[in-house]
Amino acid sequence: MDDTTKYEPQIIAFCCMHCAYAAADLAGSSRISYPPSLKIVAIPCTGRTDMGHILKTFEDGADGVLVAGCLEGRCHYQSGNLYARQRVDHVAEILDQIGLQSERARMINISAGMGAKFAELANEFAETIAALGPTGIKKKPAAREFPLPEGKTE
Amino acid sequence: MKETPSSTPGLPPKAAQPETQIGSVMVIGGGIAGMQTSLDLAEAGYKVHLVEKKSAIGGHMAQLDKTFPTNDCSMCTISPRLVEVGRHLNIELTTDTEVIALDGAAGDFTATVRTKPRFIDVDTCNGCSKCAEVCPVPFDNPFDVGLGKANAAHKLYPQATPNAFAIEKRGVAPCRDACPAGQRAQGYIALIAADRIEEAYRSIKQDNPFPAICGRICNARCEDACTRNKVDEAVNIRALKRYVTDTIHARPRQAPEPAERKFEERIAIIGSGPCGLTAAQDLCLKGYEVTVFESLPVAGGMLRVGVPEYRLPVPIIEREIQDILDLGIKLKLNSAVNQLDDLFDDGYQAVLIAVGAHEGKRIPIPGNDLNGVLINTDFLRDVRLWQHRQDHLHDSNHPDPSDQIRGQRVLVIGGGDVAVDVARTSVRLGAVSVGLAMRELSHAIPASEHEIAGAIEEGIQVLCGLNFLRVIDDGSGKAAGVEVEVFEQFELDDEGHEIAVIKADSKHTLDTDIIIFSAGQNAGLGFIPDDAGVRLTPRREVDVISHNSYATSRPGVFAAGDAVTGTAFVIDAVASGHKCGNAVHRYLRGTDIDVIEARDNRVADIPQSELDQKIRTGKIKHKARINESEISINKRIDGFTEVQTGYTRDEAIAEASRCLSCGVCSECNSCVSECGVNAIDLNMRDKEQQINVGAVVLAPGFKPYQAELSQEYGLGRYPNVLTSLQYERLLSASGPTSGHVNRPSDLSRPKKIAFLQCVGSRDQNHDYCSSVCCMYAAKQAYMTLEHDADTEIRIFMMDMRAFSKNYESYYQRVKQCKGIEYTRCRISSLKENPQNKNLIIKYFERAALPAGHNGSSANPACVIEEEFDLVVLSVGMEVAPDVRELANNLGVRIDQHGFCKTEQYNPLQTSRAGIYAIGPFREPMDITDSIIEASGAAAVVGSFLAKSRDTQTRQEVFPIARDVEGEDPRIVVFVCHCGKNIAGTVDVESVKDYAKSLPGVVHTEETVYACSQDSINHITEKLKNTGANRLVIASCSPLTHAPLFESSMKTAGLNPYLFDMANIRNQCSWVHADDKDKATEKARELVRMSTARTHALDPLATAEMAMTRSALVVGGGASGMTSALTLADQGYPVVLVEKSDRLGGNLLNVHFGLDEWGVGGGLPAINEVDFIPPQAFLAKLVTAIHSHPRINLHLNTQLASTSGFMGNFTSILEPAGENLTESECIQFQHGVVILATGGKEYKGDEYGYGTSQRIVTGQEFEQQLARFDKGLASNGELPLPNSLVMILCVGPADKYCARICCTTALKNALALKKLNPAAQVTVIYKDIRTYGFKERLYTQAREGGVVFIQYNDEGPPEVKVDQGGQPLEITVWESIIGKEISLKPDMLMLSNPVIPEQAAQELSSRLKIQLDTNGFFLEAHVKLRPVDFSSEGMFMAGIAHYPKLLEESIVQAQAAAARAATLLSHDTITTGGKIAIVNQDLCVGCLTCVRSCAYGAPRINPALAGIGNIFGAANIEAALCQGCGVCAAACPAGAIEMMHSTNKQMMAEIDALFENADNTKCGHELLETEH
Repeated sequence: MDDTTKYEPQIIAFCCMHCAYAAADLAGSSRISYPPSLKIVAIPCTGRTDMGHILKTFEDGADGVLVAGCLEGRCHYQSGNLYARQRVDHVAEILDQIGLQSERARMINISAGMGAKFAELANEFAETIAALGPTGIKKKPAAREFPLPEGKTE
Repeated sequence: MKETPSSTPGLPPKAAQPETQIGSVMVIGGGIAGMQTSLDLAEAGYKVHLVEKKSAIGGHMAQLDKTFPTNDCSMCTISPRLVEVGRHLNIELTTDTEVIALDGAAGDFTATVRTKPRFIDVDTCNGCSKCAEVCPVPFDNPFDVGLGKANAAHKLYPQATPNAFAIEKRGVAPCRDACPAGQRAQGYIALIAADRIEEAYRSIKQDNPFPAICGRICNARCEDACTRNKVDEAVNIRALKRYVTDTIHARPRQAPEPAERKFEERIAIIGSGPCGLTAAQDLCLKGYEVTVFESLPVAGGMLRVGVPEYRLPVPIIEREIQDILDLGIKLKLNSAVNQLDDLFDDGYQAVLIAVGAHEGKRIPIPGNDLNGVLINTDFLRDVRLWQHRQDHLHDSNHPDPSDQIRGQRVLVIGGGDVAVDVARTSVRLGAVSVGLAMRELSHAIPASEHEIAGAIEEGIQVLCGLNFLRVIDDGSGKAAGVEVEVFEQFELDDEGHEIAVIKADSKHTLDTDIIIFSAGQNAGLGFIPDDAGVRLTPRREVDVISHNSYATSRPGVFAAGDAVTGTAFVIDAVASGHKCGNAVHRYLRGTDIDVIEARDNRVADIPQSELDQKIRTGKIKHKARINESEISINKRIDGFTEVQTGYTRDEAIAEASRCLSCGVCSECNSCVSECGVNAIDLNMRDKEQQINVGAVVLAPGFKPYQAELSQEYGLGRYPNVLTSLQYERLLSASGPTSGHVNRPSDLSRPKKIAFLQCVGSRDQNHDYCSSVCCMYAAKQAYMTLEHDADTEIRIFMMDMRAFSKNYESYYQRVKQCKGIEYTRCRISSLKENPQNKNLIIKYFERAALPAGHNGSSANPACVIEEEFDLVVLSVGMEVAPDVRELANNLGVRIDQHGFCKTEQYNPLQTSRAGIYAIGPFREPMDITDSIIEASGAAAVVGSFLAKSRDTQTRQEVFPIARDVEGEDPRIVVFVCHCGKNIAGTVDVESVKDYAKSLPGVVHTEETVYACSQDSINHITEKLKNTGANRLVIASCSPLTHAPLFESSMKTAGLNPYLFDMANIRNQCSWVHADDKDKATEKARELVRMSTARTHALDPLATAEMAMTRSALVVGGGASGMTSALTLADQGYPVVLVEKSDRLGGNLLNVHFGLDEWGVGGGLPAINEVDFIPPQAFLAKLVTAIHSHPRINLHLNTQLASTSGFMGNFTSILEPAGENLTESECIQFQHGVVILATGGKEYKGDEYGYGTSQRIVTGQEFEQQLARFDKGLASNGELPLPNSLVMILCVGPADKYCARICCTTALKNALALKKLNPAAQVTVIYKDIRTYGFKERLYTQAREGGVVFIQYNDEGPPEVKVDQGGQPLEITVWESIIGKEISLKPDMLMLSNPVIPEQAAQELSSRLKIQLDTNGFFLEAHVKLRPVDFSSEGMFMAGIAHYPKLLEESIVQAQAAAARAATLLSHDTITTGGKIAIVNQDLCVGCLTCVRSCAYGAPRINPALAGIGNIFGAANIEAALCQGCGVCAAACPAGAIEMMHSTNKQMMAEIDALFENADNTKCGHELLETEH
């Protein structure tokens, strides 16, 4: 990374299809921006994420992981988001233990109508992660099955 | 099997099934109730026509921020249903449509529906939003209840279904309507206001090829018609038009592209004036060769040689003519046409005579041909051409006209605009004096006021009312003056002719040197000889056959403009040029030429009342018209410099902003130019069609009370008074303030808010309770605190009506919030503090209960004044006038408020057979109750049309999916432009090229709209002919569009699970519009992630399992019996189980119906004269059960166990008795279960119950009343009391409201009053919860003398029971008078609540169903799935769900039956797909999955072997799995795979993003080490 380009933390947001993904859609249709380096991975319910997914995402090169589900008590599958919160909290502990910062993994709860809130939380999270800087995890060399777009270097 | 009896009297839907049945149903109203009915009906095998009068479905629920009592996001819960309705194969959604008539008979109706023009084709529009982005006209968005703005091209709300835009258009704006050429003035004005000058110019030019000219000299009839005249002054439309053209003309000119020649025919146009050139332009653009013949050396006709330079500079004319000629028109100057035949001989197929009127007239008086007498047209032409002749023609034959005028006295005779032109020209040529003399009196001068004023400013003397007698000869044959006399007035004779009255002795002479006649002009038609075959009128104008065709008497010869009409204005010439051009085109194309061109004739007239209202509320502000600046008088008369100087940019924008946008849509056509799919047609008209249906369900919903009518609350006058619906929009994250509560007057955050309850409910004009306002106010108060915790809220209420499930606990939670205060009163007054726009409320505060309850108040009742920042009016429900009209059109009876009358015990049946009513149209009710009724209606329709089920529906059939096992991924990637939505930001081509480089991708393509029908077909084709096996669409959101592309996969014969979407619109172009590079890069990354995921996708199989098409109903009360009958009537066998020895349940205890007091459905049943008492109804119900061939009744029987799952349950019934052998138990299979196990009256020892026979429960009291009523009272029994006290809310009622006790108590109070009118009744209550029409009971009780005393939990009444047979004594604090009261009644009735049956508890553990905290059944979703258990195939009804009144139980039982029927109507159920699957080889049988699943899908099967062959491994029942994946994440052994969201698939995306592709195959190594 050279000093002239602003550091853009890589963030993966696991979004449940019932609320958070719809909220991100609404942020889009309301034209409310959040950092382009945040990528959404859709999942049926936040209860689908386990600690392995989150840790592996860091290992892959993410600087922060958001798990975004329905409001508490409003999970489409009753309590999937509560399981998710437990797991995210546990990952946060592990991050502290291994010398990363627990703030890098966060669980958020929003409803499908909260497009602006999604963007607000995404921006806030990106700022937090930007302040923390890169994780410093060394990635394995890429096998390059999926080539990079032109002009982009690692 | 025996046939179902055709009719059972007095029962739910037993209006005999019609012989002729159409298996389709019309549902009117697309709110949540209409949507639910439609879905239930469509799923149960009926074709549904859902008719909605707005442009989208969703109703009021879509407007809500949250819903009570769960605070669920309203949009979250409704939007999946919107998509479901929108995509359902058997729901035909018709928006913007109203039903105007219904003919035929029940079973075979013909509905006539009228669809308003939406101006956007709903099927073509793909919701890309470009039209809204370019639309320049904002209007008050009805969805935001006037708080926010939408553009005329709009979508009702972002998630609206159908996903299509609509254009709000009130009609043609008056300015356009007044313009002969139909110039869309409002359109370009809106564009000017938005500073979009190029578009304004484009819009103007569409109707008018001479805008710069008209911007100067048009007589602007648009301004006369301008609505702004009713407010202050018309918008200066002409100046605005000039501003646009001046701005464009100031820029370098771009010549237009020559038009393409499409037709062989050649057309000759005689005359190059505005009419001829307009026609020439239109015909040239249509594709003809056009030649214009002009006799003068210049083109432009009167514009060029009639209008003086100071009004219309030559360069302006030349510019606009050049723009026309450059299209490829041939102009022949100095080419007078002498013979029409010559033109035809030269090969022209059509000739248009547009020669104008250039021959001035001489007034027929003596001396009119003397020297010094000139003619207007010649004079003006000579003046205008002199310079041209000098410069271009070197012509010295014509003298300088100024020589003749300079230094002379000039008298112009005539009063029109041309006369003024002549006079003002004379001033400029140096006349010493100029007079303008006319016949007309001064109040009737024909010339425009502005021109006359200008003339007077320039020193011209205006002389009116003169009769010109002769021109005086100076003796040398030269004119010396005019002899005139003066008109006094004009009178009308008997035949209506004008007779001039001459003033006596008024004859005198006006001395002058030069006289110029300006008394009208004729066409110069000398070239038309009498034998040319073209007829002329006596006035020497061309006679046309009709003014629609412009055809003359000679075929192929047309005439238009002044040559036909006589002198008119430029804009008239343009208008006739357009029309005539069309006529020539029609003639040449051989179609009927004499047609009236269609034009929308609805004029958007804003009534004065609406204007006044908008002025009052500040939406329209007075603002003076801005006039154009003019040069000084000296400069003016010095030469021919243009007088008016035009607007500056700021002036133009300010003036344009004065436009009131009368038509809303201004028809500026910006959207038309922008729409990529040609969906917009601004000329759409109303459309009527007829639809054949078997039944109709009315779900038109409510309209919030128009609280402006209650003027005391100041709504509409005080900006900081809002209605609750407006406040809901303020709270909503997607509302006008993005969820910030800002008060309207200054956008500040209100710190102190008052809610006023019962506005438009429970008052003189509304004898009902609106049922929802208490709860929504509580919710809004609570949500306000969620936004801003330090807000203070005071809610002024009469009673808190938290009467339904979980409402009371919600209320208690809200009440305990810091900052929320409830005050029990209606306010005394409300006024505004003019300083800060706060609202001052005066109200009555009750006396506080004193400490120690000692009988005197420490804090007496008093009147308080308090100031609030904002006031919210909790407005009630009404029926809209158009809904009343609908009811009348359909012949359905309504009450005085417009609510629909329905049958006793058959609450959804209207007065007309085959028509059913649901939701607030029947009685005010909340979402849950509306949804129950919606399902109930599906059931009654299903019974009514049982024979025609599945006759009108269709099913999609797809080819069998190709087996792709063993194939390498072959991926097709489509990248969508979404018009400009994506392509405007993302470099789509580069994304496509990049996709091509990704592994496995065999084909990539760009598409403008992936979702258009053409594209869908194309995608299917590509999948087939590239041999692809996977598909990636990079476009918009899978939430809305995945099903569409999945069907493409299926059509192409591929497994639909081998498909993925990259959401590059919502996640790239829309959120990163400010950084195109980043957006493009992210789009590439998302495509890379999606493609990687697609690699990892597996085809998933679904399986069809047979459905056992029969039902088990548990509980033989009113609900169970109704459910059983409803299903049996629909043709399904039912096993009905009742644990006691008789049917009836709680209905056995109900003796008095509500209809007697006007609070029930309101209509006796069909074929009945009078209301039936409850016990008679029960008897009929029991008979129907016993006699129904499809109902298998088991009395004295319990449900021992139920196993299995939806479609395949096995139950065992256990008859009463001891030591049953297995063979005595009954085992059978069924597809669905309905539990209707009821509840019972609570009996506890509160208030001394059980210590005296004078203390009874409500049910005991009703039985006593019934015995006396029927004369069955026994001798030893206590007589009916002369004084009775009722205490409401006893025992568990402090935890939940049992809903029915208030109503039942008041019913029985009235029943007692009827049997013993002298009885004194006192009701001691916390809140009287007579919701809906039940309020009438409360009113009647008070009118009948029942006394009401309110108590709080802090001071409940105390009951003393004397052992010695003395009267009872009850003491209670009365807070209005501030005293403790003592009562000594004969009897005390305790209104004990209903509690659930103990059996529910047992059932819950046996059937693994959930109960709520109070022991009632827990539904799948309290709002949207009120009769479903979360376990599929199981439903609930009646009191076991929650206490409810008889009619409510009946409807809910019908609803449960309808929900069951949506399953029973299918032969099979589909399982599999996105479900979790156990790999038993890894399973340790630890039960983690079993515990984590909310649906009981995983079970440990002892017969399965797990890891290391240990016994007992988990298995997930496909039919139960909901696909959340919680178990897969929870499984410590990693034995469960969540299909379509596998570890590999999830991590493939992330790995691809970070280019760690080598990890895709072992995504879970870290997980394994962690565990």
